Amino acid sequence: MPKIDAPENIFYSLLGRKMSDDELVAIFPVAKAELDGHDAEDGVIRIELNDTNRPDLWSPAGVARALRTYETGVVPEYGFFSSADVERDSEGRMVIDDESVLGIRDYSIGFAAKGKAVDDDMLVNLIQSQEKLCTNFGRKRKTIAMGIYRKDMIKFPVHYAAVDPDKTRFVPLGMTEELSLREICEKHPKGKEYGHIVSSFPLFPYLFDDNGDTLSFPPVINSARIGAVEVGDSDFFIELSGPILDDLLLAANILACDMADMGFTIQPVKVRFAKDTPYGREITVPYYFQKDAEAELSLIEKKLGLPISGDEAVSALAKMGVKARVEGCKVRVECPAWRNDFLHPVDVVEDVMIGYGLERFEPVLPHDFTIGRISPVEEFSRKVKGILVGLGFQEMMYNYLGSRREYVENMHVSDEKCVFIANPMSENYEVIRPSILPCLLESESVSGHAVYPHNIFEVGKITIKDDSDNSGTVTKDSLGFFSSNVHIGYNEAASYVNTIMYFLRKEYTLGEVSGDERFIPGRAAQIMYNGKAVGIFGEVHPQVLESWGCSMPAIMCEIDLDALMA
Amino acid sequence: MDIEVKNLHPLEVRLLRHVSLGEPITAERLITELDYKVGQCNQAFSWLLAKGCIEEIDRSHKVVYELTDLGREYQKNGLPAERIFAFLSRNGAHSMPEITEALGLEKSDTGSAFGLLSSKGVAKMNEERKAEVIKDSLPEDIQMQRALLDKAVEPGSLDESFLSDNEKAAISQLAKKRGASSAPFKLSERDEVVYRLTAAGDAARKAVIEANITGEEFGILTPEMIQNGTWKNGTFRPYGINAPTSRLIPGRRNAYSEYLQWVKDKLTALGFEEFDGPLVENEFWNGDALFMPQFHSARDIHDVYYVKDPVHAKKIEEPWLSQVAATHENGWKTGSRGWGYAFDHEFTRRQVLRSQGTVLSAHQLTKAKVPGKYFGIVRCFRYDQVDATHGADFYQTEGIVLGNDVNLRNLLGLLKMFAEEIAGAEEVKYVPGYFPFTEPSIEVHIKHPVLGWFELGGSGIFRPEVTEALGIDVPVLAWGLGIDRMALMHLGLNDLRELFTPDIESVRMRRGN
Repeated sequence: MPKIDAPENIFYSLLGRKMSDDELVAIFPVAKAELDGHDAEDGVIRIELNDTNRPDLWSPAGVARALRTYETGVVPEYGFFSSADVERDSEGRMVIDDESVLGIRDYSIGFAAKGKAVDDDMLVNLIQSQEKLCTNFGRKRKTIAMGIYRKDMIKFPVHYAAVDPDKTRFVPLGMTEELSLREICEKHPKGKEYGHIVSSFPLFPYLFDDNGDTLSFPPVINSARIGAVEVGDSDFFIELSGPILDDLLLAANILACDMADMGFTIQPVKVRFAKDTPYGREITVPYYFQKDAEAELSLIEKKLGLPISGDEAVSALAKMGVKARVEGCKVRVECPAWRNDFLHPVDVVEDVMIGYGLERFEPVLPHDFTIGRISPVEEFSRKVKGILVGLGFQEMMYNYLGSRREYVENMHVSDEKCVFIANPMSENYEVIRPSILPCLLESESVSGHAVYPHNIFEVGKITIKDDSDNSGTVTKDSLGFFSSNVHIGYNEAASYVNTIMYFLRKEYTLGEVSGDERFIPGRAAQIMYNGKAVGIFGEVHPQVLESWGCSMPAIMCEIDLDALMA
Repeated sequence: MDIEVKNLHPLEVRLLRHVSLGEPITAERLITELDYKVGQCNQAFSWLLAKGCIEEIDRSHKVVYELTDLGREYQKNGLPAERIFAFLSRNGAHSMPEITEALGLEKSDTGSAFGLLSSKGVAKMNEERKAEVIKDSLPEDIQMQRALLDKAVEPGSLDESFLSDNEKAAISQLAKKRGASSAPFKLSERDEVVYRLTAAGDAARKAVIEANITGEEFGILTPEMIQNGTWKNGTFRPYGINAPTSRLIPGRRNAYSEYLQWVKDKLTALGFEEFDGPLVENEFWNGDALFMPQFHSARDIHDVYYVKDPVHAKKIEEPWLSQVAATHENGWKTGSRGWGYAFDHEFTRRQVLRSQGTVLSAHQLTKAKVPGKYFGIVRCFRYDQVDATHGADFYQTEGIVLGNDVNLRNLLGLLKMFAEEIAGAEEVKYVPGYFPFTEPSIEVHIKHPVLGWFELGGSGIFRPEVTEALGIDVPVLAWGLGIDRMALMHLGLNDLRELFTPDIESVRMRRGN
């Protein structure tokens, strides 16, 4: 979930008034936002945004726009958007994408903004918006990288091309010497972080102006000259590159609206693509590319459980910043330029719900009659637990992830049945448990202080490899029990098994065990049920006890409950 | 101090009844007059001292020589030196082995006894290497030892303070024979304490007599007493009902598991049927079927555990695979425009550890009845650093409601029911939420009597992209409850890791509120 820092002064001025924290807490839900904190000393309001499909809300300007609109019901209008029908004047500003970028990073687009000189807060705020869009929405710059440049130094048109990474050199931001693009990937901190996005290609993307001066090496780093924006600058060029055009256009629209809300004049820039797009070969950015969405009034009623009229829906949507009109039995929605999240009519329904006011929906219980029941394995497990408790055993519950040392080495078993994790976070949690027994032994190893005898059990899941399953693994419901005391041995274990099986009404026989190093040879048995081995029990081998650092004699048993139930 | 005389032990009662104010009370007296054992004397004294019924008036250190079994044998059959002297006097000179054999002595005893006789000039070794007697009476110290044994045999011990210096010297030899496995006397030192009744003790004595408590009341009721009816001949001694109890270790359910069972029972009582499933899932069910785009940030390598081997499931069930893939790409027949990207058919087979309980709700859709209500409390795995609020694996409580006419208001009703029935909420508040697989989405916040306001759960109506691609054409309400905080509160814990502790003692002592 993205979190943003909103400087008080900027946020309140965007809202049009100061709002108390209580007011913010009360209204934030309409933007699926939460007040994460308010640092009065630094004057910073921390906001958490829950909707990962609404990047327009990941900036103070975006949140303020949503709240303002919700309060007034007036949808903001911006006059700088071009579209399929309208083309705004780009006054000679242009970005030209060269064919060499195709297949590497297909698109670069841009727009310009002019305003008053930015102060520290505004600059930090602008960079934060850029970061949220590129990191959270742009998948760590993979699909969106954005650069902000000093427009007064640029001679248009700006060129976007793929170039030889060894022959192209410039001074990157944060350094003082010229490096080749390849050297930037190797040496510059941003190169190390983002260079991998393009470094497998023979040519790297490169952005430069008509004088041949470097703007940046997208998606990695700006130049130290044109790309070094500072406090006091007032004239900017914003460029976005990536492989998915709609995402770039949306991010450009969001930033343009944010900057307009902060008092900038947005200056359109013409973009010539290197290939045909659904919007043609040349468009002017910011560009309204969204298509209308719609929802039947009957769908709204079906989903929300209230008959909501067309007019009510339209005014509810207006509060959400969405222009809509009634067309027969449908609501037709003109998606805001800063949003692209109407995938399905249900997305319109949700905006109607929030705009209408969630508190206006009276809860009612579902009236369908259904029969509740626990699962068969839960029912069987409860029987098993009851018997074990009656035998004096304490039920335990364990984590299902553990280490090779616990599950394999300490148990003196092979790892061939174990399901390992490919990307473990730590070696303490790298295997799903193949058995309950190591968990019980871990208990024994940390419980020397607990009064003996130790009688413990767990009914839980284990996972082992099984080629016959589609996943190559099988998860089983299993019973494991363990008992340690000065005098304990095979006979006690056999008696416990006999009692458990008697009360479960399961006829069983015993089979020889060979080569199982967990048990003392000749003092363990397999439990045979329906001709299949469904469990094992016996005296724990002292080598296992020693590996776990235990010194009390013990018996243990594990039974496959799924097999017993079958 | 008020003494509850009914609670006095028979040893105390009999002592109190036996003595009177001002008399000295010693262990010796109780042993001889009341037939107490030494241990019983100590018990009676320590209890009565603690109650303030008696006080110490004198204490003396006492050294006592107790006659051992060996000493009794020597007294009866003679000391080795006496026997050798008598044998040689009667039968003339004999070699050492002959003496040992004839008297049935230990070789070492013969040696040391002869050594003693010879050093006192009573016997000697002649030229034939045979022992012979050269005086007609035993040395004085042997005679003294004999006298001591005879003196000790009746009382069983000798008090050092009653012995002469010569006797002391002689007895110390008999008590401290170095290297000998046993000796005729055992030295024991003890303090002999003299007590007397206090005023409280005297009051207790009178109360005991007044209440007609004799100390002969019945203690434990035995089967014999019932069978032969002897219980009818007396009264039972009342016990101190507040005596400390001993620790029992019962067989017990785990308190957390009991809590989860309680939640399950609640949900079944509300008409829900339980589902369950394997821990290993694939990207298809873990994310794709829930309409989470394959590039979604929650599907990153840093959020989900991948299975090392086998990396991929063999296949994904049809028609679900084709329908879900088409839904992602262009919306299929669901009325959605889809995510507009090329669905990756290899990625979808990649195996992961189930990261969210909703996976099983998705599975359930393919086999659900309409109307239907289903739930699961299932183990999930999330790529998180383990700490007090994040476990390596944890339980999620999730479920779905299918019905021709279920809608948002039913969802709110359902959440209200959970809030009241399961969380005991005082107030309920709903706010819009966001989940990739529901639209609309609702979070429910509750005011808990102890925990205050917190988010109880997330919910929504499954997106048609989820339900229709899995063959369901009615609305499906989906919900999840975060019951961990309530479980921790119920168990008096504040660290999630504690729920799965291996520590036996801590699990034994744990109990729910």
